[in-house]
Amino acid sequence: MADGDVLAMNLTDLSWLIASKKVSASEVVSAALARLDQFEPQLNAFITVDRDGALAQAKRADEEITRGAYRGPLHGVPVSIKDLFETAGMRTTGGSKIFADWIPEHDSALAEKLKAAGAINLGKTNLDEFGHGGTSTLSHFGPVHNPWNVERIAGGSSGGSAAAVAAGIGPLSYGTETGSSVRRPASYCGVVGFKPTFGIISRTGSFRGAWSQDHAGLFARSVKDICLGLDVVAGFDRRDPASVPQETPQYAARLDSNIKGLKIGVLRNFLESVTPNVKTAFEAALKVFASAGAELVDFDVPELRYAAMTSNFTSSAESGGINRIWFRQHAHDYVPHVARGIAVGLTISASEYLTAQRARQRIREAVRAAYDKVAIIATPTTSRIAPLLSEGLKGNGDDARHVSTNHSNMLRFPSMLGLPGCSLPIGISPENMPMGVQLVGKWFTDQTVLNAAAAYQNETDWHTKRPKI
Amino acid sequence: MDLKEKHAHRLAMLQGVEFSPADIDEILAEVDDIERVVAELEEFCKNTPWFSQQTQPEGGKV
Repeated sequence: MADGDVLAMNLTDLSWLIASKKVSASEVVSAALARLDQFEPQLNAFITVDRDGALAQAKRADEEITRGAYRGPLHGVPVSIKDLFETAGMRTTGGSKIFADWIPEHDSALAEKLKAAGAINLGKTNLDEFGHGGTSTLSHFGPVHNPWNVERIAGGSSGGSAAAVAAGIGPLSYGTETGSSVRRPASYCGVVGFKPTFGIISRTGSFRGAWSQDHAGLFARSVKDICLGLDVVAGFDRRDPASVPQETPQYAARLDSNIKGLKIGVLRNFLESVTPNVKTAFEAALKVFASAGAELVDFDVPELRYAAMTSNFTSSAESGGINRIWFRQHAHDYVPHVARGIAVGLTISASEYLTAQRARQRIREAVRAAYDKVAIIATPTTSRIAPLLSEGLKGNGDDARHVSTNHSNMLRFPSMLGLPGCSLPIGISPENMPMGVQLVGKWFTDQTVLNAAAAYQNETDWHTKRPKI
Repeated sequence: MDLKEKHAHRLAMLQGVEFSPADIDEILAEVDDIERVVAELEEFCKNTPWFSQQTQPEGGKV
């Protein structure tokens, strides 16, 4: 079987081939590494690649499978992990010069679970320093480039993970999100990005960006693959104060694309800053949901005009607190823009932070009430296609400093409130760049969000489109 | 009053870390916005109960 064939497969098919020994984990991992070698010089998606380690793990996986010790759908499958998660014996930098040579002794909870599932970690993906950014250009290790057009950004902060999956360097990559760092790069790179309800995936052993908004999430090319990848890493972890007790994850087994009667809310007031092509793709996506049986409900949540501002203020203050000690010792080793942001966070007083939390409470209650009317809120994931690198940090078009109907509010509220959110591809722009829709559910309705996303993918083929790098 | 003077109390929270004049200008531009943002958030949430979240043992009771 040709290398490209195995890397083009969905995870379900690839797992079956590995489990039935029609293809070996060693062959799949070798193919992924060859693809990485081919495209990494243009993408800069990885900070560290563990070539020898990955091949050794693959050999071990093949031996286990041969003797009947199959561990499940991720056994022998190449994955990658955002370089915010600690990996025992493998460099973990946070995208920062400060940790450029740090080799942790212990695995993060996420890396532990992936190892236990037999997944093969190819390496650590590039990001904005400590997750502080939305472009993946604020890395000590240089910017990530978008596989659809290397002159454009991949989005951040989990841009390396999104770019890796879009480029076919493994079917799964794991990232994190504090503001929109899974959903935005997923949309810009034309892959599926899912961030579950706060507390579903443990964050133990990962760098904090803002503790009350940090989530782990993942990228894949299909919703089914997201479910398989989520099943392995979800679960209660006493070491993470945000972790929630939960049933044994069975997202893949429970995937049901019947969405007849599902109420999907549309917040049209927040479409103002969305570009015409993205708006058109979004309206077309809504029609697909309607034809699959969903009921579309136009409504408004006026309090969401304060969401981006409140989220930004919260994460700024929390990042100041988190970085206080490192900052005192290493302020000039940070990426300059990140250092300035942390400096601003350090100047926010406790009473000002608490005011933002009170505002957050008001938004939370308004959104809770909104979910009495609808099961899911749908919006374009991003207001525009991935901007050019030359547009700089303002290229995303965000406004997180004013009360407004700017689309940034749509990007920021799911993480600020801990809601499950999924971005999936819904079209290709005239510039040949992907566009995305995001589905945001009520707390702990992760399965409903995934089901709706799967229903869309059953009816469309946008998720099968691949960039020509 | 220039921004540096106006926000001297905030810059003191930078724990002695020094920045270039250009960096300080960028930081001050954002810092100058904090009080406006807080005033807008205060107005927005003035009738919202203060949130409270204690750290309690699992299950609620010791």
